[in-house]
Amino acid sequence: MDEISLELDDIQSGALFERPSPYVGVYLLLSIRDGRDGRELVRRLHRLLASAGEASEAGETSLTVAFTYHGLKALGVPEESLDSFAPEFRQGMAARAEILGDVGESGPDHWEKPLGSADVHVAISVLAPDEDRLRAVADRARRAHAELPGIELIWRQDCYQLATGRTSFGFKDGIGQPAVEGSGRPATDSREPPLKAGEILLGYPDETGELAPMPFPEVLGRNGTYVVFRKLHTKVAAYRSYLRSRAHSRAEENLLGAKMVGRWQSGAPLALAPERDDPELGSDPLRNNDFAYGDDPRGFKCPVGAHARRANPRDALDQEGSVDVRLHRMIRRGTSYGPALPDGVLEDDGAERGIMFVFAGAHLKRQFEFVKTQWLNDGIFIGAPLEADPLVGPHGEAGTFTIPQRPIRRRLQDLPPFVVTRGGEYCFAPSLSALRWLADLQPDDPATQRGSR
Amino acid sequence: MTTSDVSAPKPGLSVGPTSEFSLFFRVKPGEAASLRQALHALQETPGYRPGDYGMAIQTIHEARFVLFDDDTRLAFITSFDGPWDAYMEDFFTSGPTLALFDVIFSHVEGYDGLPDLAAVRSFVLGAEQSAAAYARNYGGTVKEIRKAQRVNSAFQEVLDHPQAAEILEHPAMQPLLDEAAD
Repeated sequence: MDEISLELDDIQSGALFERPSPYVGVYLLLSIRDGRDGRELVRRLHRLLASAGEASEAGETSLTVAFTYHGLKALGVPEESLDSFAPEFRQGMAARAEILGDVGESGPDHWEKPLGSADVHVAISVLAPDEDRLRAVADRARRAHAELPGIELIWRQDCYQLATGRTSFGFKDGIGQPAVEGSGRPATDSREPPLKAGEILLGYPDETGELAPMPFPEVLGRNGTYVVFRKLHTKVAAYRSYLRSRAHSRAEENLLGAKMVGRWQSGAPLALAPERDDPELGSDPLRNNDFAYGDDPRGFKCPVGAHARRANPRDALDQEGSVDVRLHRMIRRGTSYGPALPDGVLEDDGAERGIMFVFAGAHLKRQFEFVKTQWLNDGIFIGAPLEADPLVGPHGEAGTFTIPQRPIRRRLQDLPPFVVTRGGEYCFAPSLSALRWLADLQPDDPATQRGSR
Repeated sequence: MTTSDVSAPKPGLSVGPTSEFSLFFRVKPGEAASLRQALHALQETPGYRPGDYGMAIQTIHEARFVLFDDDTRLAFITSFDGPWDAYMEDFFTSGPTLALFDVIFSHVEGYDGLPDLAAVRSFVLGAEQSAAAYARNYGGTVKEIRKAQRVNSAFQEVLDHPQAAEILEHPAMQPLLDEAAD
């Protein structure tokens, strides 16, 4: 296999490497009221990103800048160039909501404003190991936009790792990332060779041997990646109450929770620790992602419908002859927001808490949308069309979840939704040279000049 | 808001979890006989031998190749669990389908052959025609049907036990007893 060489000094490393742990961070959404100020903003952000130097180490402070379709339009990107982006990106997440299962309470009508609207133009994320380092970079990002009258800050979301180091549901997360060729990071799953760089970055061959469809001009597309962010509210009290109502003991609650997730709270995978949690395994990055499902086709250790097995079936579908799991991998950089619900509390305290889900990849449709629609929202692929992901599935009506066990399988009934979509967007995180190209745009369309000084 | 206007067309009608998929090709002049031969050879391979019930793609219910119009045209018709468009890349870039189709397609017009996968993909999509009407007589996926067959066969085994009637007497067994009489 030829090791590809990535132009790491041109790539926004925030999209490529995992977040620090612990972490604090902030997500900002900006609206461009004036194209010229927009391009000045891009120039300043480019300087910020460039001064960060070569792709920083994992665990360092990272700044990521991405644009929505409407954002690129507001910057004056020419029409034929806009048209060359992926159709899903051009439509935006709100237009894809029905396909994605974002309906009812999760539907765009109920989204937090301004998420899903055409006002969302620029998305900035800053993730740092601590408050001081966050502030240092966030202040510079703020200065980049605050003094530009044509730029408006329209949304802000703070995030931080909970004291437990786990998600609001109580699970260690961020495990199971694929390695990417040329990134210099080794794979943690010994059975999964690093993904072709073109699965994550535009301009490189992907797993099919082709280049992912890339927007033009090449300087705009190459070394960029699509980014999806979704604010997902977690109904922690409902989740805990549900487990309590179905279990006779704390141990059984933990077991049911683990069966739903596919991992114990410590992160230990059921495939390796089917009977009880193994915190040492869970915290060992060399072991907690190094497993397969091939010896457990019926799901006695890890249910075939468990969240982690759905999101990454590994070798479980190898016999199907119709699926190549390597076409459906992604970089995830989720973070938590909101306070923890104190241990043992079963009543909803009304607090906003949850997950900022962040995806990075070269293929919105066959990566993010495929996994969401075929593997998480649906059960056709596991022979259970009526079952969705027990944790994040959109259980419009009450859902079911089957836990294979001898002598008789257990079936959880009346699963309510535990996750509600608060909104999100499809973005594009361009390379540093593309940012320069965007900053230097000189749109001749008078419409984009309107209001400029 | 419509979502179909800019995304790729969604091939095939669906009934429940299953969608139909049909491809129509023109046979290269003079290649009808060799195509027929290739299809006969296909019929002899594991999975396509009558009674094998084990095609390489586990998620299709059945598949047929039909030569028609005096062997000038070829149809490939199947039913698949899941939406075809979601799996298009998987089908035509990996797995057993590609090698099998490569042999057949080499006899039809417009096929330039491997390894240009993008060309193969657009060639296949260009040959796809959605059904004008589509119905199914059962609702399950291949996986569910196979499970149902295993369960029925196990049930018949239980009924053949000398004490079957006694075993099924428990009130909880009533739904099974209802199915036991014929």
